[in-house]
Amino acid sequence: MEQDATGYDSLTIRPLPKWLTDQRDSLNIVRPVKLQMKEDNSLGVSFFITGVIIFLIITILTIYILKKNKNKSL
Amino acid sequence: MKLIFLKIFLGLGALSIMCTTKVSEWVLLNSLPAEYTLVYYHNLPLAESVRKQNTDLSERIKTANIQLREAGKKEAGDPYYALYYGKRLFKTFRTTAEMTDLTTSPLRRKIALELMSGKLCVMLYLTSDNKAKDEKGRKEIESALSGSPFRDVITLIPMSRNSMDESQFVNMLLNVESDLKSIPEPMLFGIFGRFKALEPLVANGITSENVNLLINFLTADCSCLIKDNLPGTDILFTNKWENPAPAMVNGILDANPGLQHL
Repeated sequence: MEQDATGYDSLTIRPLPKWLTDQRDSLNIVRPVKLQMKEDNSLGVSFFITGVIIFLIITILTIYILKKNKNKSL
Repeated sequence: MKLIFLKIFLGLGALSIMCTTKVSEWVLLNSLPAEYTLVYYHNLPLAESVRKQNTDLSERIKTANIQLREAGKKEAGDPYYALYYGKRLFKTFRTTAEMTDLTTSPLRRKIALELMSGKLCVMLYLTSDNKAKDEKGRKEIESALSGSPFRDVITLIPMSRNSMDESQFVNMLLNVESDLKSIPEPMLFGIFGRFKALEPLVANGITSENVNLLINFLTADCSCLIKDNLPGTDILFTNKWENPAPAMVNGILDANPGLQHL
């Protein structure tokens, strides 16, 4: 008598509906992307470039002033 | 320029409201039921009496989510009607008399009234007429509902799978998944929106835990993931779905903010 069969078990034999397993596993929710910190060298690079620019400006100005004074003394 | 800002502001406002609408409410307000197709297959030119019969039938079912088509088919033999949901064949009929109550029935009208009154869902318990099995499932459902804060907005309706009055409705439910007809076990269908039936919990799958997951699914915020892959099968029904009562679930969630985003 098929009507009296007790062997049917939707949990083990038949898969549960997808909407239910998605709800159980929280797959229906849009999760925000996790932000991860990356190695950041931008501050060091910025200091280096600023230092180089200051050094160049001082050098150029020193040479310019020295040359100007030299011409005046002559 | 100001108009653009206003449009963006209003658009974002609408978007934020949509994302907090619960699944059951969003589906009722926005998701149109899928259409069924009733195809009349015939292998001879249509007689005037048949044309009239089909015109009358078409008129009778026109308010439901179904359309009638006629198709010539050489291998059809005797003419017959075939009911399709998408590409899935649900049932065939030899005569129009067999299609009485195809688009409506007393229980479907009752369920529609419950949905339109703002209820979260109707849990339809399709019993197998095996007392021991049906009782076991019923206890699990009642246990889950009695412990749920949403029990007052859920209606539990039992129906025998051998019901003669609701044979068309039972047939549609047993077509929600391809193997259900061959499973002589109790089944629990969540019905929501505009008569959308979720794939059921079957036999030992009817547990308090799973019934609570069903409630959680319907009370969750309607994410784009759910909207894009809305589960379930729309049941054939005659009804107008305009102006439903406000969803009762919102009152419960407003009074108990801890229940939000389960």
